[in-house]
Amino acid sequence: MTDRAAPDTDLDAALIEAHEAADHRRLVVLYAEAADHAEAAGDIDACCFYLTHAYVFALQTGAGEARALHERLLAHGREE
Amino acid sequence: MTVHPSELAAVTQPVTNARGLPNAFYTDPEVFEEEKRKVFFRNWAALGFFSDVPEPGDAKPLTFLGQPLVLIRGRDGVLRVFQNVCRHRGMILIERPQKIERAIRCPYHSWCYELDGSLRTTPHVGGPGTNRHDAIKRDELGLFEVRSHTWLGMVFVNIDGQAPAFEEYAGDAIARYADFDKPLYKCGGEGTFTMEVKANWKLAIENGAESYHLPWVHPGLNSYSRLEDHYHIEAHGPLCGQGTTVYNPSLSEDGRRFPEFADFDAKWNQGAEYPMLFPNIMIGVHKDQLWGFIVEPVSHDRSIEHVQIYYADPSVAGDAWAGMRKKNAEMWAGVFAEDIFVVEGMQRGRHATQFDGGKFSPVMDNPTHDFHAWVASQMMA
Repeated sequence: MTDRAAPDTDLDAALIEAHEAADHRRLVVLYAEAADHAEAAGDIDACCFYLTHAYVFALQTGAGEARALHERLLAHGREE
Repeated sequence: MTVHPSELAAVTQPVTNARGLPNAFYTDPEVFEEEKRKVFFRNWAALGFFSDVPEPGDAKPLTFLGQPLVLIRGRDGVLRVFQNVCRHRGMILIERPQKIERAIRCPYHSWCYELDGSLRTTPHVGGPGTNRHDAIKRDELGLFEVRSHTWLGMVFVNIDGQAPAFEEYAGDAIARYADFDKPLYKCGGEGTFTMEVKANWKLAIENGAESYHLPWVHPGLNSYSRLEDHYHIEAHGPLCGQGTTVYNPSLSEDGRRFPEFADFDAKWNQGAEYPMLFPNIMIGVHKDQLWGFIVEPVSHDRSIEHVQIYYADPSVAGDAWAGMRKKNAEMWAGVFAEDIFVVEGMQRGRHATQFDGGKFSPVMDNPTHDFHAWVASQMMA
Protein backbone atom coordinates (compact mmCIF):
# COMPACT_ATOMS: atom_id res chain seq x y z
CA MET A 1 0.00 0.00 0.00
CA THR A 2 1.47 3.36 -1.00
CA ASP A 3 1.27 6.53 1.04
CA ARG A 4 -1.93 8.41 0.27
CA ALA A 5 -1.67 12.06 -0.67
CA ALA A 6 -2.95 13.83 2.43
CA PRO A 7 -5.21 16.87 2.23
CA ASP A 8 -3.58 20.11 3.24
CA THR A 9 -3.62 21.14 6.87
CA ASP A 10 -6.63 23.46 6.63
CA LEU A 11 -8.69 20.91 4.73
CA ASP A 12 -7.67 18.19 7.14
CA ALA A 13 -8.77 20.34 10.08
CA ALA A 14 -12.07 21.09 8.37
CA LEU A 15 -12.67 17.39 7.77
CA ILE A 16 -12.04 16.57 11.41
CA GLU A 17 -14.34 19.37 12.50
CA ALA A 18 -17.11 18.20 10.16
CA HIS A 19 -16.73 14.62 11.38
CA GLU A 20 -16.95 15.76 14.99
CA ALA A 21 -20.06 17.78 14.19
CA ALA A 22 -21.53 14.88 12.17
CA ASP A 23 -22.02 17.45 9.41
CA HIS A 24 -22.38 14.92 6.62
CA ARG A 25 -23.35 17.43 3.95
CA ARG A 26 -20.16 19.33 4.62
CA LEU A 27 -18.18 16.10 4.45
CA VAL A 28 -19.42 15.52 0.89
CA VAL A 29 -17.95 18.86 -0.16
CA LEU A 30 -14.69 18.51 1.77
CA TYR A 31 -13.94 14.95 0.66
CA ALA A 32 -14.69 15.90 -2.95
CA GLU A 33 -12.24 18.77 -2.56
CA ALA A 34 -9.62 16.39 -1.17
CA ALA A 35 -10.25 14.09 -4.14
CA ASP A 36 -9.71 16.96 -6.55
CA HIS A 37 -6.38 17.81 -4.91
CA ALA A 38 -5.21 14.21 -5.10
CA GLU A 39 -6.28 13.90 -8.72
CA ALA A 40 -4.40 17.09 -9.59
CA ALA A 41 -1.36 15.60 -7.90
CA GLY A 42 -1.74 12.49 -10.05
CA ASP A 43 -2.56 10.20 -7.13
CA ILE A 44 -5.55 8.26 -8.43
CA ASP A 45 -5.70 5.85 -5.48
CA ALA A 46 -5.93 8.76 -3.05
CA CYS A 47 -8.42 10.47 -5.31
CA CYS A 48 -10.69 7.40 -5.29
CA PHE A 49 -10.30 7.02 -1.54
CA TYR A 50 -11.64 10.53 -1.00
CA LEU A 51 -14.25 10.17 -3.75
CA THR A 52 -15.51 7.07 -1.97
CA HIS A 53 -16.00 8.99 1.25
CA ALA A 54 -17.69 11.85 -0.54
CA TYR A 55 -19.93 9.37 -2.34
CA VAL A 56 -20.91 7.51 0.84
CA PHE A 57 -21.89 10.69 2.65
CA ALA A 58 -23.70 11.91 -0.46
CA LEU A 59 -25.70 8.69 -0.48
CA GLN A 60 -26.46 9.02 3.20
CA THR A 61 -27.64 12.60 2.95
CA GLY A 62 -29.32 12.39 -0.41
CA ALA A 63 -26.95 15.00 -1.79
CA GLY A 64 -27.22 15.70 -5.51
CA GLU A 65 -23.49 15.13 -5.95
CA ALA A 66 -23.95 11.38 -5.52
CA ARG A 67 -24.50 10.73 -9.22
CA ALA A 68 -21.41 12.62 -10.37
CA LEU A 69 -19.25 11.09 -7.65
CA HIS A 70 -20.45 7.64 -8.66
CA GLU A 71 -19.61 8.35 -12.29
CA ARG A 72 -16.07 9.45 -11.37
CA LEU A 73 -15.53 6.25 -9.39
CA LEU A 74 -16.96 4.21 -12.25
CA ALA A 75 -14.60 5.92 -14.68
CA HIS A 76 -11.69 4.74 -12.55
CA GLY A 77 -13.10 1.20 -12.36
CA ARG A 78 -13.71 1.49 -8.64
CA GLU A 79 -17.49 1.18 -8.52
CA GLU A 80 -20.36 -0.80 -9.98
CA MET B 1 -40.12 -28.55 27.63
CA THR B 2 -41.18 -28.96 31.25
CA VAL B 3 -44.82 -29.61 30.33
CA HIS B 4 -46.11 -33.14 29.87
CA PRO B 5 -47.99 -33.71 26.60
CA SER B 6 -51.02 -34.92 28.54
CA GLU B 7 -51.31 -31.49 30.14
CA LEU B 8 -51.59 -29.92 26.69
CA ALA B 9 -54.08 -32.53 25.54
CA ALA B 10 -56.27 -31.54 28.49
CA VAL B 11 -56.29 -27.96 27.23
CA THR B 12 -57.60 -28.92 23.81
CA GLN B 13 -60.59 -30.85 25.19
CA PRO B 14 -64.06 -29.31 24.68
CA VAL B 15 -64.50 -26.34 26.99
CA THR B 16 -66.74 -28.24 29.41
CA ASN B 17 -63.96 -30.64 30.27
CA ALA B 18 -60.86 -28.64 29.41
CA ARG B 19 -58.25 -27.25 31.75
CA GLY B 20 -56.33 -24.06 31.11
CA LEU B 21 -52.70 -23.98 30.08
CA PRO B 22 -50.32 -25.31 32.73
CA ASN B 23 -48.47 -22.97 35.08
CA ALA B 24 -45.18 -23.48 33.24
CA PHE B 25 -46.62 -21.50 30.32
CA TYR B 26 -46.49 -18.47 32.58
CA THR B 27 -43.55 -19.11 34.87
CA ASP B 28 -40.96 -21.10 32.94
CA PRO B 29 -38.39 -19.27 30.75
CA GLU B 30 -37.83 -22.49 28.80
CA VAL B 31 -41.47 -22.60 27.74
CA PHE B 32 -41.23 -18.94 26.77
CA GLU B 33 -38.24 -19.76 24.55
CA GLU B 34 -40.20 -22.54 22.90
CA GLU B 35 -43.18 -20.23 22.40
CA LYS B 36 -40.95 -17.81 20.53
CA ARG B 37 -40.32 -20.40 17.88
CA LYS B 38 -43.60 -22.30 17.80
CA VAL B 39 -46.14 -19.59 18.55
CA PHE B 40 -44.54 -16.36 17.34
CA PHE B 41 -41.98 -17.07 14.63
CA ARG B 42 -44.17 -19.64 12.84
CA ASN B 43 -47.27 -17.46 12.75
CA TRP B 44 -48.17 -13.86 11.96
CA ALA B 45 -47.30 -11.82 15.04
CA ALA B 46 -48.26 -8.19 15.50
CA LEU B 47 -45.12 -6.05 15.52
CA GLY B 48 -46.14 -2.41 15.33
CA PHE B 49 -48.30 0.17 13.65
CA PHE B 50 -48.43 1.53 10.12
CA SER B 51 -48.33 5.00 11.67
CA ASP B 52 -44.92 4.29 13.27
CA VAL B 53 -43.27 5.15 9.94
CA PRO B 54 -45.75 7.44 8.19
CA GLU B 55 -43.48 9.09 5.59
CA PRO B 56 -41.03 7.77 2.98
CA GLY B 57 -37.64 7.42 4.61
CA ASP B 58 -39.00 6.96 8.12
CA ALA B 59 -37.26 4.16 10.01
CA LYS B 60 -38.07 2.72 13.41
CA PRO B 61 -35.83 0.08 14.97
CA LEU B 62 -37.23 -2.31 17.53
CA THR B 63 -36.34 -5.54 19.22
CA PHE B 64 -38.99 -8.23 19.02
CA LEU B 65 -38.41 -11.41 20.99
CA GLY B 66 -34.69 -10.78 20.79
CA GLN B 67 -34.73 -10.12 17.04
CA PRO B 68 -33.29 -6.76 16.01
CA LEU B 69 -35.74 -5.49 13.42
CA VAL B 70 -36.38 -2.20 11.67
CA LEU B 71 -39.55 -0.86 10.03
CA ILE B 72 -38.77 1.28 7.01
CA ARG B 73 -41.11 3.19 4.73
CA GLY B 74 -39.62 3.11 1.22
CA ARG B 75 -39.61 5.84 -1.40
CA ASP B 76 -42.36 3.81 -3.06
CA GLY B 77 -44.50 4.15 0.08
CA VAL B 78 -44.20 0.45 0.87
CA LEU B 79 -43.57 -0.45 4.51
CA ARG B 80 -40.93 -3.16 4.83
CA VAL B 81 -39.45 -4.93 7.82
CA PHE B 82 -35.79 -5.94 7.81
CA GLN B 83 -33.45 -7.56 10.25
CA ASN B 84 -31.56 -4.54 11.50
CA VAL B 85 -28.08 -5.84 10.73
CA CYS B 86 -25.46 -5.16 8.11
CA ARG B 87 -24.68 -8.12 5.84
CA HIS B 88 -20.96 -7.45 6.36
CA ARG B 89 -20.26 -7.90 10.07
CA GLY B 90 -23.72 -8.07 11.61
CA MET B 91 -23.53 -4.56 13.04
CA ILE B 92 -26.79 -2.95 14.10
CA LEU B 93 -27.63 -0.46 11.38
CA ILE B 94 -30.20 1.88 12.92
CA GLU B 95 -30.17 2.66 16.62
CA ARG B 96 -33.08 5.09 16.94
CA PRO B 97 -36.16 6.26 15.02
CA GLN B 98 -35.03 8.60 12.27
CA LYS B 99 -35.62 9.93 8.79
CA ILE B 100 -33.29 8.31 6.26
CA GLU B 101 -32.45 10.93 3.66
CA ARG B 102 -31.39 8.51 0.99
CA ALA B 103 -29.33 5.49 2.02
CA ILE B 104 -28.81 3.50 5.19
CA ARG B 105 -25.12 3.71 6.08
CA CYS B 106 -23.71 1.11 8.40
CA PRO B 107 -21.84 3.00 11.12
CA TYR B 108 -19.04 0.41 11.13
CA HIS B 109 -17.53 0.17 7.60
CA SER B 110 -20.14 2.30 5.81
CA TRP B 111 -21.73 -0.30 3.58
CA CYS B 112 -24.79 1.51 2.24
CA TYR B 113 -28.27 0.14 1.56
CA GLU B 114 -31.26 1.56 -0.26
CA LEU B 115 -34.57 1.79 1.60
CA ASP B 116 -35.77 -1.32 -0.24
CA GLY B 117 -32.87 -3.20 1.34
CA SER B 118 -30.68 -3.49 -1.75
CA LEU B 119 -26.95 -3.05 -1.24
CA ARG B 120 -25.81 0.17 -2.91
CA THR B 121 -22.11 0.41 -2.21
CA THR B 122 -19.32 -1.32 -0.31
CA PRO B 123 -16.61 1.26 0.30
CA HIS B 124 -12.99 0.08 0.10
CA VAL B 125 -14.14 -3.55 -0.09
CA GLY B 126 -11.56 -4.24 -2.80
CA GLY B 127 -8.86 -2.16 -1.08
CA PRO B 128 -8.60 1.58 -0.39
CA GLY B 129 -10.59 3.53 -2.97
CA THR B 130 -11.91 0.39 -4.67
CA ASN B 131 -15.53 -0.30 -3.84
CA ARG B 132 -16.04 -3.50 -5.72
CA HIS B 133 -14.70 -7.03 -5.71
CA ASP B 134 -15.74 -10.09 -7.68
CA ALA B 135 -16.49 -11.96 -4.45
CA ILE B 136 -18.88 -9.25 -3.28
CA LYS B 137 -22.07 -9.80 -5.23
CA ARG B 138 -24.32 -6.90 -4.28
CA ASP B 139 -27.48 -8.47 -5.61
CA GLU B 140 -27.00 -11.33 -3.14
CA LEU B 141 -26.21 -9.11 -0.16
CA GLY B 142 -29.30 -7.02 0.40
CA LEU B 143 -30.73 -6.67 3.88
CA PHE B 144 -32.55 -9.70 5.23
CA GLU B 145 -36.21 -8.85 4.75
CA VAL B 146 -38.76 -10.24 7.18
CA ARG B 147 -42.07 -11.31 5.70
CA SER B 148 -44.56 -8.64 6.67
CA HIS B 149 -48.13 -7.59 6.05
CA THR B 150 -50.12 -4.52 6.99
CA TRP B 151 -53.80 -4.71 7.86
CA LEU B 152 -56.07 -2.26 9.67
CA GLY B 153 -53.12 -0.02 10.47
CA MET B 154 -51.12 -2.83 12.10
CA VAL B 155 -47.88 -4.43 10.95
CA PHE B 156 -47.61 -8.20 11.19
CA VAL B 157 -44.53 -10.32 10.67
CA ASN B 158 -43.92 -13.98 10.00
CA ILE B 159 -40.35 -14.37 11.19
CA ASP B 160 -39.68 -17.88 9.86
CA GLY B 161 -41.29 -17.11 6.51
CA GLN B 162 -43.18 -20.41 6.47
CA ALA B 163 -46.70 -19.43 7.55
CA PRO B 164 -49.60 -19.43 5.09
CA ALA B 165 -50.21 -16.07 3.41
CA PHE B 166 -51.63 -13.51 5.84
CA GLU B 167 -54.85 -13.43 3.81
CA GLU B 168 -55.26 -17.12 4.52
CA TYR B 169 -54.03 -17.00 8.11
CA ALA B 170 -56.36 -14.16 9.08
CA GLY B 171 -59.06 -14.81 6.50
CA ASP B 172 -61.95 -14.91 8.98
CA ALA B 173 -60.87 -11.63 10.56
CA ILE B 174 -60.28 -9.93 7.21
CA ALA B 175 -63.77 -10.89 6.04
CA ARG B 176 -65.43 -9.95 9.33
CA TYR B 177 -63.88 -6.47 9.42
CA ALA B 178 -63.80 -5.69 5.71
CA ASP B 179 -65.92 -2.59 6.35
CA PHE B 180 -62.96 -1.06 8.20
CA ASP B 181 -60.21 -1.90 5.73
CA LYS B 182 -59.94 1.75 4.73
CA PRO B 183 -57.53 4.61 5.31
CA LEU B 184 -57.02 5.13 9.04
CA TYR B 185 -55.74 8.31 10.66
CA LYS B 186 -53.59 8.61 13.75
CA CYS B 187 -54.73 12.18 14.58
CA GLY B 188 -52.56 13.61 17.33
CA GLY B 189 -50.31 11.98 19.87
CA GLU B 190 -52.82 11.21 22.61
CA GLY B 191 -53.86 7.95 21.04
CA THR B 192 -50.38 6.42 21.15
CA PHE B 193 -49.32 4.95 24.46
CA THR B 194 -47.72 1.96 26.13
CA MET B 195 -48.14 0.14 29.42
CA GLU B 196 -45.64 -2.20 31.03
CA VAL B 197 -47.10 -5.14 32.88
CA LYS B 198 -45.47 -7.71 35.13
CA ALA B 199 -47.20 -10.60 33.47
CA ASN B 200 -46.89 -13.16 30.74
CA TRP B 201 -48.13 -11.92 27.34
CA LYS B 202 -50.95 -14.48 27.16
CA LEU B 203 -52.72 -13.11 30.22
CA ALA B 204 -53.43 -9.80 28.49
CA ILE B 205 -54.90 -11.60 25.49
CA GLU B 206 -56.94 -13.98 27.67
CA ASN B 207 -58.35 -11.09 29.63
CA GLY B 208 -59.30 -9.11 26.56
CA ALA B 209 -60.96 -12.10 24.96
CA GLU B 210 -63.85 -12.43 27.38
CA SER B 211 -66.60 -10.15 28.64
CA TYR B 212 -67.16 -12.12 31.85
CA HIS B 213 -64.94 -9.77 33.84
CA LEU B 214 -66.41 -6.52 32.55
CA PRO B 215 -69.00 -5.76 35.27
CA TRP B 216 -66.45 -6.49 38.00
CA VAL B 217 -63.29 -4.94 36.65
CA HIS B 218 -64.82 -2.17 34.54
CA PRO B 219 -67.91 -1.14 36.52
CA GLY B 220 -68.03 2.13 34.61
CA LEU B 221 -69.17 0.20 31.54
CA ASN B 222 -72.29 -1.05 33.34
CA SER B 223 -74.00 2.26 32.79
CA TYR B 224 -74.32 1.79 29.07
CA SER B 225 -72.91 -1.58 28.05
CA ARG B 226 -74.13 -4.33 30.32
CA LEU B 227 -72.82 -7.86 30.47
CA GLU B 228 -75.92 -9.14 28.69
CA ASP B 229 -75.23 -6.77 25.80
CA HIS B 230 -72.02 -8.66 25.04
CA TYR B 231 -71.48 -11.74 22.93
CA HIS B 232 -68.58 -13.99 22.06
CA ILE B 233 -66.70 -14.10 18.80
CA GLU B 234 -65.72 -17.68 18.12
CA ALA B 235 -64.15 -18.71 14.87
CA HIS B 236 -61.91 -21.39 13.53
CA GLY B 237 -58.27 -20.48 13.49
CA PRO B 238 -56.50 -17.62 15.24
CA LEU B 239 -59.51 -15.44 16.05
CA CYS B 240 -61.74 -15.03 19.06
CA GLY B 241 -63.01 -12.23 21.23
CA GLN B 242 -66.12 -10.41 22.27
CA GLY B 243 -68.55 -7.86 20.95
CA THR B 244 -71.22 -5.55 22.25
CA THR B 245 -74.56 -4.59 20.78
CA VAL B 246 -74.38 -1.26 22.57
CA TYR B 247 -71.62 1.14 21.55
CA ASN B 248 -72.63 4.66 22.35
CA PRO B 249 -69.88 6.49 24.22
CA SER B 250 -70.48 9.99 25.46
CA LEU B 251 -67.34 12.04 24.91
CA SER B 252 -68.81 15.50 24.60
CA GLU B 253 -71.40 17.34 26.63
CA ASP B 254 -72.91 18.79 23.46
CA GLY B 255 -73.43 15.34 21.96
CA ARG B 256 -70.82 15.68 19.23
CA ARG B 257 -69.55 12.42 17.70
CA PHE B 258 -66.37 11.64 15.82
CA PRO B 259 -66.80 11.28 12.04
CA GLU B 260 -67.71 7.72 11.14
CA PHE B 261 -66.31 5.34 8.57
CA ALA B 262 -68.19 5.30 5.27
CA ASP B 263 -70.35 2.45 4.07
CA PHE B 264 -70.39 0.08 6.99
CA ASP B 265 -72.95 -2.62 7.72
CA ALA B 266 -75.92 -1.50 9.84
CA LYS B 267 -74.84 -3.74 12.70
CA TRP B 268 -72.01 -1.32 13.44
CA ASN B 269 -74.43 1.55 14.08
CA GLN B 270 -74.84 0.31 17.63
CA GLY B 271 -72.28 -2.44 17.92
CA ALA B 272 -68.55 -2.77 18.43
CA GLU B 273 -66.19 -5.74 18.60
CA TYR B 274 -62.94 -6.58 20.35
CA PRO B 275 -61.34 -9.45 18.46
CA MET B 276 -58.06 -11.12 19.36
CA LEU B 277 -55.99 -12.13 16.36
CA PHE B 278 -53.58 -14.69 17.75
CA PRO B 279 -51.02 -14.65 18.97
CA ASN B 280 -50.71 -11.13 20.32
CA ILE B 281 -53.12 -8.44 19.27
CA MET B 282 -56.51 -7.20 20.38
CA ILE B 283 -58.34 -4.83 18.06
CA GLY B 284 -61.12 -2.42 18.98
CA VAL B 285 -63.53 -2.04 16.07
CA HIS B 286 -66.03 0.81 16.21
CA LYS B 287 -67.94 2.87 13.68
CA ASP B 288 -65.85 5.97 14.45
CA GLN B 289 -62.47 4.60 15.56
CA LEU B 290 -60.30 1.54 15.50
CA TRP B 291 -57.49 0.72 17.84
CA GLY B 292 -54.78 -1.86 18.07
CA PHE B 293 -53.54 -3.25 21.36
CA ILE B 294 -50.35 -5.17 20.69
CA VAL B 295 -48.93 -7.27 23.48
CA GLU B 296 -45.15 -7.41 23.13
CA PRO B 297 -43.73 -10.41 24.97
CA VAL B 298 -40.57 -9.32 26.78
CA SER B 299 -39.98 -12.37 28.95
CA HIS B 300 -42.03 -15.12 30.55
CA ASP B 301 -43.30 -12.64 33.15
CA ARG B 302 -42.98 -9.23 31.49
CA SER B 303 -44.92 -7.65 28.65
CA ILE B 304 -45.40 -4.27 27.07
CA GLU B 305 -48.82 -3.28 25.75
CA HIS B 306 -48.67 -0.90 22.78
CA VAL B 307 -51.84 1.00 21.91
CA GLN B 308 -52.62 3.03 18.81
CA ILE B 309 -55.99 4.67 18.25
CA TYR B 310 -56.97 5.44 14.66
CA TYR B 311 -59.85 7.60 13.47
CA ALA B 312 -62.01 7.45 10.38
CA ASP B 313 -61.35 10.94 9.09
CA PRO B 314 -58.20 13.12 8.99
CA SER B 315 -60.19 16.13 10.19
CA VAL B 316 -60.10 14.64 13.70
CA ALA B 317 -56.48 15.80 13.87
CA GLY B 318 -57.74 19.38 14.02
CA ASP B 319 -57.96 21.54 17.12
CA ALA B 320 -61.74 21.31 17.07
CA TRP B 321 -61.47 17.67 18.10
CA ALA B 322 -58.56 17.99 20.52
CA GLY B 323 -60.72 17.83 23.64
CA MET B 324 -62.66 14.79 22.50
CA ARG B 325 -59.50 13.04 21.31
CA LYS B 326 -57.95 13.56 24.72
CA LYS B 327 -61.06 12.34 26.52
CA ASN B 328 -61.33 9.32 24.25
CA ALA B 329 -57.68 8.34 24.75
CA GLU B 330 -58.01 8.82 28.51
CA MET B 331 -61.11 6.65 28.56
CA TRP B 332 -59.40 3.76 26.80
CA ALA B 333 -56.19 4.15 28.79
CA GLY B 334 -58.31 4.01 31.93
CA VAL B 335 -60.07 0.82 30.82
CA PHE B 336 -56.74 -0.83 29.97
CA ALA B 337 -55.23 0.30 33.27
CA GLU B 338 -58.15 -1.28 35.13
CA ASP B 339 -57.10 -4.63 33.67
CA ILE B 340 -53.52 -4.52 34.90
CA PHE B 341 -54.18 -5.70 38.43
CA VAL B 342 -55.96 -8.84 37.22
CA VAL B 343 -53.32 -9.61 34.62
CA GLU B 344 -50.53 -9.17 37.15
CA GLY B 345 -52.57 -10.97 39.81
CA MET B 346 -53.01 -14.01 37.56
CA GLN B 347 -49.27 -13.96 36.87
CA ARG B 348 -48.49 -14.21 40.58
CA GLY B 349 -51.25 -16.78 40.93
CA ARG B 350 -49.52 -19.02 38.43
CA HIS B 351 -46.87 -19.77 41.03
CA ALA B 352 -49.45 -21.67 43.11
CA THR B 353 -48.21 -25.22 42.70
CA GLN B 354 -51.63 -26.79 43.04
CA PHE B 355 -53.25 -24.57 40.42
CA ASP B 356 -54.07 -26.87 37.53
CA GLY B 357 -54.61 -24.35 34.74
CA GLY B 358 -58.08 -23.44 35.89
CA LYS B 359 -61.68 -24.44 35.22
CA PHE B 360 -63.51 -22.69 32.40
CA SER B 361 -67.13 -21.61 32.45
CA PRO B 362 -68.63 -23.46 29.47
CA VAL B 363 -70.81 -20.39 28.90
CA MET B 364 -68.62 -17.38 29.66
CA ASP B 365 -65.05 -18.48 29.00
CA ASN B 366 -65.28 -19.87 25.49
CA PRO B 367 -63.00 -17.30 23.83
CA THR B 368 -60.37 -17.75 26.55
CA HIS B 369 -60.52 -21.49 25.99
CA ASP B 370 -60.23 -20.97 22.22
CA PHE B 371 -57.00 -19.07 22.81
CA HIS B 372 -55.57 -21.61 25.25
CA ALA B 373 -56.43 -24.47 22.91
CA TRP B 374 -54.80 -22.64 19.98
CA VAL B 375 -51.59 -22.03 21.93
CA ALA B 376 -51.55 -25.67 23.05
CA SER B 377 -52.03 -26.86 19.50
CA GLN B 378 -49.13 -24.70 18.29
CA MET B 379 -46.86 -26.08 20.98
CA MET B 380 -47.84 -29.67 20.21
CA ALA B 381 -47.22 -29.25 16.47
